[in-house]
Amino acid sequence: MGISTLRSYRGAQIFEAVGLAKDFIDDYFTGTASRINGIGVAEVAREAEMRYKRAYAPAPGVPHLLDAGGQYHFRLGEEKHLWTPETITKLQFATRNNDMKMYKEYAKYINEQAEHLCTLRGLFKFKKAAQPVPIEEVEPASEIMKHFVTGAMSFGSISKEAHETIAIAMNRIGGMSNSGEGGEDPERYIRLPNGDSKCSAVKQIASGRFGVTSEYLASARELQIKIAQGAKPGEGGQLPGHKVDKFVAKVRHSTPGVTLISPPPHHDIYSIEDLAQLIYDLKCSNTDARISVKLVSEVGVGTVAAGVSKGHADMVLISGHDGGTGASPLTSIKHAGLPWELGLAETQQTLVLNYLRDRIRVQADGQMKTGRDIVIGALLGAEEFGFGTTTLVVLGCVMMRKCHSNTCPVGVATQDPELRKRFAGQPEHLINFFRMIAEEAREIMAELGIRKFDDLVGRSDLLEMNKAIDFWKARNLDFSAVFKRPDNPNLPVRRTKAQDHGIDKAYDTVNILPKVQDAIENKKKVTLELPIHNVDRTVGTITSYHVAKKYGNAGLPEDTLTIKFKGSAGQSFGAFLSHGMTFELEGESNDYLGKGLSGGKIIVRPPVNASYNPSENIIVGNVLLYGATDGKIFIYGRAGERFAIRNSGVTAVVEGLGDHGCE
Amino acid sequence: MGNPKGFLEVGRKNPGYRPAEERVKDYNEVETHLSEADLKKQASRCMDCGIPFCHGCGCPVSNVIPEWNDLVYKGFWKEALDILRSTNNFPEFTGRICPALCEASCTVGLNGDAVTIRQIELEIIEKGYKEGYIKPEPPAVRTGKRIAVIGSGPAGLAAADQLNKSGHSVTVFERDLNVGGLLRYGIPDFKLDKKVVQRRVDLMVAEGVTFETGVDVGTDLSAKYLTNRFDAICITTGAKAPRDLKTAGRELEGVHFAMEFLWQQNCRVCGQVFEGENITAKGKKVLVIGGGDTGSDCVGTSNRHGAKAVTQIEIMPEPPETRHPGTPWPLWPYQKRTSSSHKEGCTRMWNIATKSIEGENGKVKRVNAIKVEWELGPTGAPLKMKEIPGSEFVIEADLVLLAMGFTGPEQGGIISQLGLELDQRSNVKVNADWMTSKPGVFAAGDVASGASLVVRAIAAGRKMAENVDKYLGNNK
Ligand SMILES: Cc1cc2nc3c(=O)[nH]c(=O)nc-3n(C[C@H](O)[C@H](O)[C@H](O)COP(=O)(O)OP(=O)(O)OC[C@H]3O[C@@H](n4cnc5c(N)ncnc54)[C@H](O)[C@@H]3O)c2cc1C
Ligand code: SF4
Ligand code: SF4
Repeated sequence: MGISTLRSYRGAQIFEAVGLAKDFIDDYFTGTASRINGIGVAEVAREAEMRYKRAYAPAPGVPHLLDAGGQYHFRLGEEKHLWTPETITKLQFATRNNDMKMYKEYAKYINEQAEHLCTLRGLFKFKKAAQPVPIEEVEPASEIMKHFVTGAMSFGSISKEAHETIAIAMNRIGGMSNSGEGGEDPERYIRLPNGDSKCSAVKQIASGRFGVTSEYLASARELQIKIAQGAKPGEGGQLPGHKVDKFVAKVRHSTPGVTLISPPPHHDIYSIEDLAQLIYDLKCSNTDARISVKLVSEVGVGTVAAGVSKGHADMVLISGHDGGTGASPLTSIKHAGLPWELGLAETQQTLVLNYLRDRIRVQADGQMKTGRDIVIGALLGAEEFGFGTTTLVVLGCVMMRKCHSNTCPVGVATQDPELRKRFAGQPEHLINFFRMIAEEAREIMAELGIRKFDDLVGRSDLLEMNKAIDFWKARNLDFSAVFKRPDNPNLPVRRTKAQDHGIDKAYDTVNILPKVQDAIENKKKVTLELPIHNVDRTVGTITSYHVAKKYGNAGLPEDTLTIKFKGSAGQSFGAFLSHGMTFELEGESNDYLGKGLSGGKIIVRPPVNASYNPSENIIVGNVLLYGATDGKIFIYGRAGERFAIRNSGVTAVVEGLGDHGCE
Repeated sequence: MGNPKGFLEVGRKNPGYRPAEERVKDYNEVETHLSEADLKKQASRCMDCGIPFCHGCGCPVSNVIPEWNDLVYKGFWKEALDILRSTNNFPEFTGRICPALCEASCTVGLNGDAVTIRQIELEIIEKGYKEGYIKPEPPAVRTGKRIAVIGSGPAGLAAADQLNKSGHSVTVFERDLNVGGLLRYGIPDFKLDKKVVQRRVDLMVAEGVTFETGVDVGTDLSAKYLTNRFDAICITTGAKAPRDLKTAGRELEGVHFAMEFLWQQNCRVCGQVFEGENITAKGKKVLVIGGGDTGSDCVGTSNRHGAKAVTQIEIMPEPPETRHPGTPWPLWPYQKRTSSSHKEGCTRMWNIATKSIEGENGKVKRVNAIKVEWELGPTGAPLKMKEIPGSEFVIEADLVLLAMGFTGPEQGGIISQLGLELDQRSNVKVNADWMTSKPGVFAAGDVASGASLVVRAIAAGRKMAENVDKYLGNNK
């Protein structure tokens, strides 16, 4: 949503109803989206009456107490949750002891929700296949495990120990772990003697841009733009000051003890074109990484996903509402976000219908817990699956819901050194978990008669509603819109080809890289003079990638590579520029100059023959230096709006600013 | 949760026991109480878990522990009491003698010492009595339905209490002369003062429950009599059949079941006269066979009688001092338990099997024992036993108490008169609605589960009562 002020909610119709009948919506919530039909006035009345009866017929003898409710804190006999003492205990036991039998008990409770309906997929059922296949013919678990990633849980919100354990496990199985938005200690990019790697394969770029340096970007296999988080769409994030210790602060390039806020919007994304620009910037910052965009399941997400695919992202993530709840505001845990089933189905349908599906992968996350979950995800259109909370539970989380107070007693979500010592999770536990999930998925695949995981993708025709679950409020649900497949069977339903990012035609590739090998390889001083035009976007970033890959944030010695440009620079000039690179621009520049500057130096001055007074005129665009971490910038003239937001280390000299400078 | 860091800043404090030299001279409760200030501090150690394992996994009656912990910390004792009473009919019993399953699964205990939940529970209810919050609350209306509860142990009492509060007219039949089942005749006074039991019974009488004691249903009253006069029958007769030692010398004078010994002492303490030979440990060398809680109660009682020496032997291996890895948190830990009675003086031995008992002039003099070895399973659980050849030895004893557990309900009597189906372990079989094979006849507690715990009996009694209530059409 990206709504920042209360007023924006008024009349915006951003709410979606889940499980309300169409006529009911038309009568009382006209215009609100509601996709799976459901209850009407009669059921609402019945429920109100039930409550009334209970209130006036108190239990025998005992003091007349209000129900505890059990919404946020588990209470027996109250609100149903899938995480219960029993499921947590079983899952932890199963994964610690590699005990498939115990895993099955756990999975049974999660999968068979007749007695405790908690999810939409709890109401789904696989159709009986005409031709099951023997399980031996199904792809091995090791292949299926490559479809798994872990959720974006930032270092800072979770402990170093937990974060690194997850990375090691995922690197071992060929899956991917996610840095979250907290930066990453460069120490972790160095492989351990035993061959393990603590490097997070996915590096996230969120609105706070904490610790997003050229080295951080260069170390990734995937760069993920976090538009929003499933559990709290539109809310941004907050890391309370008491969790920001010295080390967290160092990695995030911030000050210990100071609360860190990630604002709801990205300051460099105001439109889908801006998003495409950021995708391009990031692709340039690491041409070997794929670029993904994390969206939230909500009505209309399909349209956004189509834009993301057109904007050349390699993967789009549809994040469900019940992901990552521990530190989210209480109101959001219960009342924001939607099940991934809905958003995923919409995304798949929109992408397929618009011929956009074949060039982008789709991922889903949000309380993925079992093999059944991922098979359903695949049938609805996802190739990849993210595990957040479940990962933490495997590593010892007991759902204390104390993530925000730094007192996590099992050392998972805390920075307290004493509590961190209690962390008992091991990579093996996670690997066991993922293997068991994959094995469970294989069993289902065998029953469905499908040998390769890829062949599950988009086969929503294999799903139906489980009519045997006779819960009075579920009777009128209708999932046909969710299970719908485009009529044309020839449309590709999964990714089959790569996006064209246009890297070989990029300014750096053509004009800079061939001439600066000596500078990059041998640290020899090189000076170039080049013309530039406003269609030349993200100039210098690919070159910076090569520097960062080799030298990290330290880059090259000062002024090793100096390029003197003349003309009008396009967007993102000098984005993520590495140390040792100096860009002198005579002319003017568009938006995002020096975005994420990482040690480089940028000088902008008007053309010598300019007839205007630079101190009164804007010569560089908006959103300069957003999330910059290091470097220097000198502008002989004024800058536009939102100058140097979330700057954490750059020295800038400028003649004047528009609104919101240096926020 | 008053103090998010309570569990890090405050250590666990146990109230402890009166000094051993002092306490063995009387039958008063051995455990002391924490001060109110200490209790509040202890309550602050609770983390108010998102998933409170104490409540959702440990405590059989599902006490809503985090809520009363918080209220106690803030000094709202009455409110804490209300919440406690909503799940547990008799916190004054469990607060004293519950092994505190909750604490074994308390999240603080995962990496440290659990919250002192049992102590807090006890003080909430005791304060309730002291402040006069607990007073008879007879139901406002009577349904006119009549219910017979057979057996007045914790299961029967909990069921009677619940059903009475629902407005039914409840009569509890008890074979013994006093009410309470094992609460009164099994568990010694030094763990649970009988005045505490009586205080609750008096309250229930004032609320309208009828107790008929000294009535052995099946002998003094027929099943038919009851089925004709009552709308529902609850069987809560316990699992009192003791496991016997089938060995030479079993018939010698001075060899008794633990329950005979404990029953007599409980009669003495509350002034109840009984017939038959007086079993005393005074001046004797006592051997307790069986290393469990009943055995431990025999140890404590023997020391109070003035035994010369007390030895307790157990056939199983000695459990580890701390939680065995085979029973990780939040499971009930397999570990060695040392009771206050053990600390009063006794020799404990493990891996000992009894070969025979010998005596002189018909009186027991010694027990021939042998050391055994166990083959352990993968989780460390003992699987198979074998005697170690040549390890025979003799234990001198002139009182032998058999505390080897219970095999199940006493057979015959009311159970066979009603023709109730039994399960493989010879417990009375009940369905998901706690009904036996005979419509209108329900069962709960040890009689249905086999020998267990007071708190489980209370939990079962409550659940059975709920189903009886439904059966009688009081379905809300
Ligand atoms: C020595 C000992 C110590 C124990 N210590 C503890 C402890 O510290 N903590 C703990 O939690 N648990 C303890 N237990 C276990 C606990 O006491 C029992 O699990 C619990 O009392 C069972 O409750 P109940 O109501 O099912 O049966 P009981 O308490 O056994 O009550 C059954 C009652 O039914 C009566 N009865 C039986 N047949 C008839 C009949 N035909 N007519 C009328 N009345 C009948 C019996 O006389 C008895 O009073 C101990 C047990 C023993 C033996
Ligand atoms: S009844 Fe027992 S298990 Fe339940 S709270 Fe009290 S001490 Fe704990
Ligand atoms: S498990 Fe322990 S810390 Fe958690 S709510 Fe229960 S008593 Fe408190």
